[in-house]
Amino acid sequence: MALIEVEGAVKRYGGATALNGADLRVDAGACVALVGESGSGKTTLLRTVNGLTALDQGRVRVRGESVAAMDPVALRRSMGYVQQDGGLIPHWTCLANAALVPSLRGMADAEERGRSALDATGLDSALYGSRYPRQLSGGQRQRVAIARAVAADPDVLLMDEPFGALDAVTRFDAQEAFLALRASASVTAVLVTHDLSEAMRIATRVAVMRAGRIVLEAASGELAVRAREEAALGRGYAAELLRKSGVGA
Amino acid sequence: MKGWRGVKGRRWGGLAAGVGLSGSVALAASGALSQAQEASGPVVVASKQFAESYVLAEVFAQLLEQHGHEVDRRLGLGTTELTFQALARGDIHVYPEYTGTGLVAILNEYPSGGSAGVFRRVSTVFQARWGARWLPPLGFANNYAVAMRRSAADSLGIRTLSGLARASPQLAAGFSPDFAGRTDGLVGLAETYVGMRFREVRNVLQAVKYRALAEGEVDVIDAYSTDGAVARYDLQVMVDDLGFFPPYDAAPLVSREFYENRPRAVLVLSRLAGRIDEETMRRANEKVELAAMPVAQAAGELLVEIGLVEAGSGASDVAGGDGDLASGDGDMAGGDGTSSRSVRTLPGYMWSNRTALARQAARHLLLVLTSLGAAVLVAVPVGVALERRRSAAEGTIRAAGLLQTIPGIALLAFMLPLFGIGAAPAAAALFLYSLLPILRNTYTGIVGAAPGAVEAGRALGMTEGQLLHRIRLPLAAPVVMAGVRTAAVINVGTATLAAFVGAGGLGDPIVAGLALSDPVMILSGAVPAAAMALGVDWALARAEARVAPKGVRERRE
Repeated sequence: MALIEVEGAVKRYGGATALNGADLRVDAGACVALVGESGSGKTTLLRTVNGLTALDQGRVRVRGESVAAMDPVALRRSMGYVQQDGGLIPHWTCLANAALVPSLRGMADAEERGRSALDATGLDSALYGSRYPRQLSGGQRQRVAIARAVAADPDVLLMDEPFGALDAVTRFDAQEAFLALRASASVTAVLVTHDLSEAMRIATRVAVMRAGRIVLEAASGELAVRAREEAALGRGYAAELLRKSGVGA
Repeated sequence: MKGWRGVKGRRWGGLAAGVGLSGSVALAASGALSQAQEASGPVVVASKQFAESYVLAEVFAQLLEQHGHEVDRRLGLGTTELTFQALARGDIHVYPEYTGTGLVAILNEYPSGGSAGVFRRVSTVFQARWGARWLPPLGFANNYAVAMRRSAADSLGIRTLSGLARASPQLAAGFSPDFAGRTDGLVGLAETYVGMRFREVRNVLQAVKYRALAEGEVDVIDAYSTDGAVARYDLQVMVDDLGFFPPYDAAPLVSREFYENRPRAVLVLSRLAGRIDEETMRRANEKVELAAMPVAQAAGELLVEIGLVEAGSGASDVAGGDGDLASGDGDMAGGDGTSSRSVRTLPGYMWSNRTALARQAARHLLLVLTSLGAAVLVAVPVGVALERRRSAAEGTIRAAGLLQTIPGIALLAFMLPLFGIGAAPAAAALFLYSLLPILRNTYTGIVGAAPGAVEAGRALGMTEGQLLHRIRLPLAAPVVMAGVRTAAVINVGTATLAAFVGAGGLGDPIVAGLALSDPVMILSGAVPAAAMALGVDWALARAEARVAPKGVRERRE
């Protein structure tokens, strides 16, 4: 069954429509990448899942429960979240940052969880745990952010351009760390990225967004084929996007 | 009105006796004194901010003390408006005032009927409107006068204001700002003496006026007929041949409460009626203004001279012992006895007045810290709250900024009707001044505190309270402290103005020094105030560095 279901999501900001009837289903264990151009509604859709954005119309269900009816704080503590700039708390050590969610949830072993999460993302907690974020490189900070998101073993992980600010080499390493993490933990992930090749490399499924809707959703390996089929039916946007991204079509 | 000058002393003898009989003297004579309930507590004696006012207030105070009354001195309290307001509110009991000032500056009326007529008019109206009483006049008038260097007057052949009007197009005038702007000053003068148009009119402060005239910077100045400097600088006072200037007869002005509840004290002050003539007053002023004699001593000598105190009796002890000049808690002039200004050094003067200065500095600091603390308690929560109502933030901060644009002395004046005189209006004004820097920095600090971390924290399930206490406030703390530091330094400076509303502090010696043209006395307040500003800045800079959280601290160095 679908762990996350979004149906007919509509969100307007003043005169602008960010979501215009978006539908999305994410099965347990999947990693879905939301791709599309700037302003297509990727981030807004992601933020409806943990209640950071309240919908004007439509509904979002997580684990079968309506997000609108849930306590937003409890909901968010049950999910991991990673944003582009990392968003680490600057006056907390990396270990304190990594242990944030477990300690918010009152877990007795919060610090231990933070430590093992750091280790799992490839950062030696003994070496880096006592450092402050500004003493780390950009790639290392992003690993701390990922460690923080998974330290409480959430079943859902939301990521908004998690590797977007990193240079190519660092990004590759961080992606590898993420894949390793996914291999060891059965977390369901939703990932926003503007980079189609990244989407196809680390996601199991890819959803192409345009003007607040999902226009194509397919397994990563089938994306190119599906895009060509759509183009043949006169809906050429996904194929166009793939071609522009140099991923082939 | 023509020809009032010169006969003042004798005429007032008669007038004072007449007035006195209808007032407090009659009360005493009727035997009411023995039954009247004399209220207890100190008599609050105040003065305005020029030497003669200080001397007269000190005369009142010493005479009252001679007769067993306790006195609370508020010397150099403020301008006419401010001092009278304090009297009308009952914050002070008595201060020396001039009938012409009462009529023109307080009642906004034009003089008529000569000295006696003006006295009758102010007596009637002040009693009806405020319950305030003019006690019998002291015997001299301190009139506005226009003066020139004698040599210049001689070479132009000028003796009268009419003659001055004819010569005015070639002369430069230096007038104190209030004289230049008042209808009983230059404005009315030019209407009465047609053709009076000076080549140039400059605003010159009281303290430097005589020097400007002596050095030829200006040719004509406004003066007071009892100024000690008139003789010293060899000046020619122009005869008011058309009788323009109203009579400024000096008298104790007392509050309703004092008049009704302190008949014995009223009677003591009434003994001064007609006793001080123009020459006696001018000599006392000269001692203070030019010979740097402490006010208390000059007042004591005056009392001996007019025979109200015997030489060598208690009055001179009062003068030497605890002659408080600057205010109720400052004995600025009394400390170094009779040493003259020429041999006085700032360190020596400060050392000899160390007790008073320490008290004033402590009071200054207390005033600053109290108002600052209150501002922190208000501005920090408001600044934090504004983060969640950003649409209201700009308007609120702009409103606080508007307060900041009000000149210090004006803001203090606005506070008087609300708080009276003393520390309360000063603390209120300093509080308002502190709001902007603290409010603006709190808001900026909270809004600017790692927005990415706040966003991530919220997305991971931190509550708004946790975001505030664990992320925003710690990160904003150095910025808030910087605002507190700015406010504190501004306050240390602004608090010197608090002396103008009787709040005490290091402004007391500054105000007294300005009134007495005594640079050493001014510096004895200004230098410690500057040192305090530096010290406060240093201490709060350290606090600012300390409150910066560890993870972000090094970046600031």
